[in-house]
Amino acid sequence: MLNEERIILMTQMASYEQGEGKENVKIGNYFRSDYIALQVLKSIVCAIIAYGIMFGLYMLCNFEEFMENLYKMDLLAFAKDVLMYLVAVVGGYAVLTYIICTWRYAAAKKSLKCYYHNLKKLNSLYQESQ
Amino acid sequence: MTVLLEMKERLKLIYSKYEAFIVPVIKFLLAFVAFNTLNGRMGYMTRLDDMRILLIAALACSFLPIGIMVLIAAVFSLMHMYALSMEVALVGLCMYLIMYLLFFRFSPKDSLVVVLTPLLFAWKMPYVIPIATGLLCGPGSLVSVGCGVAVYYLLQTIIESAPNIRTMGEEDILGKIRMVVESILANRAMVVMIAAFAITVLVVYFIRRLSVDYSWTIAMIAGAMMNVVLLLIGDLFYEINVSVGTVLLGSLLAIVVAKVIEFFRFCVDYSRTEKVQFEDDEYYYYVKAVPKMTVSVPTKTVKKINSQWDRGGSAGSRNGAARQPARGMAGERGPSSRNGSGARPQNRGSGQRRGGSMTVGNTGNRKRADAHGGNGPDDYEEWT
Repeated sequence: MLNEERIILMTQMASYEQGEGKENVKIGNYFRSDYIALQVLKSIVCAIIAYGIMFGLYMLCNFEEFMENLYKMDLLAFAKDVLMYLVAVVGGYAVLTYIICTWRYAAAKKSLKCYYHNLKKLNSLYQESQ
Repeated sequence: MTVLLEMKERLKLIYSKYEAFIVPVIKFLLAFVAFNTLNGRMGYMTRLDDMRILLIAALACSFLPIGIMVLIAAVFSLMHMYALSMEVALVGLCMYLIMYLLFFRFSPKDSLVVVLTPLLFAWKMPYVIPIATGLLCGPGSLVSVGCGVAVYYLLQTIIESAPNIRTMGEEDILGKIRMVVESILANRAMVVMIAAFAITVLVVYFIRRLSVDYSWTIAMIAGAMMNVVLLLIGDLFYEINVSVGTVLLGSLLAIVVAKVIEFFRFCVDYSRTEKVQFEDDEYYYYVKAVPKMTVSVPTKTVKKINSQWDRGGSAGSRNGAARQPARGMAGERGPSSRNGSGARPQNRGSGQRRGGSMTVGNTGNRKRADAHGGNGPDDYEEWT
């Protein structure tokens, strides 16, 4: 015999899983440290690539000036500056990612708490019916 | 108001019934308009300005995720840039990559905002975007709004620089790159717009989340005012040449659009607000419950009345009350027909139906008479 309460609960859960819960379930599969570490790592890679692109554009814009001063300028100091900016950009972006991902993980867990509660309720409904 | 609420319910019913068709059609139209606008404003690659290509791309977008629409629009714009100059396309590609790598990966769900922002800028009503985003999305959406604004100004800068780029020789590669990059970086209007829109999104979002009555209305008005103030301050300091009249009119339009969004998304009746307090083992709860404004849509019921006289009373003998309900049928009005509380004629099965049958709407008026071997209207008159 059909259990109406169980069907309503399952429908709600399926709707959550396919909608907003999709991403949350994905996040919930990770431990907090694993999720944040992975996202920060991805951000570092992205930031390095983006910095490379920005540096490339900068060099293209100032190529003539750079070539003119190539033998006059202190290349070591220039490289040091470039690396310093790289560390600042990548570090800043990683910190930002850390903050966003911490908040996102907490929000996902909070949302999943309700989902797991419904899951337990569903389980108990099944046990009642057996 | 009741009429509007009924209309809303009807629209919701239609949407839920035909969602599978409505969503692809809307995506198709949006993609078509976006690509067409792009072609109209840039149009450097004449091959792309072909209706068949537009239709194919828009059709592909209609069943693919919105993110693909952003990708195709980016490819279209890059192809136009390439037709203008390879160096411009290179700068455009770099800008898109930077936006994707640093910003867009945090809010991939808001692809629609990235498409709509440049589109609304092109239609001279960009002030709708921060308010609508603040009402409908989260604070993270300010990244998407910022990306959308940056895309618009990137394209605008290229369109404005196009005559100069064309006059430059083929060999002046670095000069072209420098010119485009410097034009983009020196664009103060872009920076002011991004800052103003980002702050507006946050202001609207945080106010609409407050537990105060009419929070959505307060949020949209405060957001519009904040946007106007920030743009005027930006104009004062950076001389971005913002027209005060345009900003004010645009903001008024944004409030109107936001009110429409509020009607469909958050239509509540604050006059019936209830505040309750209760507790369990762990917490005290102070709950404020605001009821939604809803009306039930009167549904049309189709009732078939079979002619009794033609059957020689065979059906009537089976159900003695058969004639009486049918008689009450003509005077039946409105909701009573919906919940079946009114007199309802019994359906006697198709095998016994030899006379006419009628279809009557819930208003009780004669809508249509379907003749199944008999004269419908005559049958109706006979029964009433």
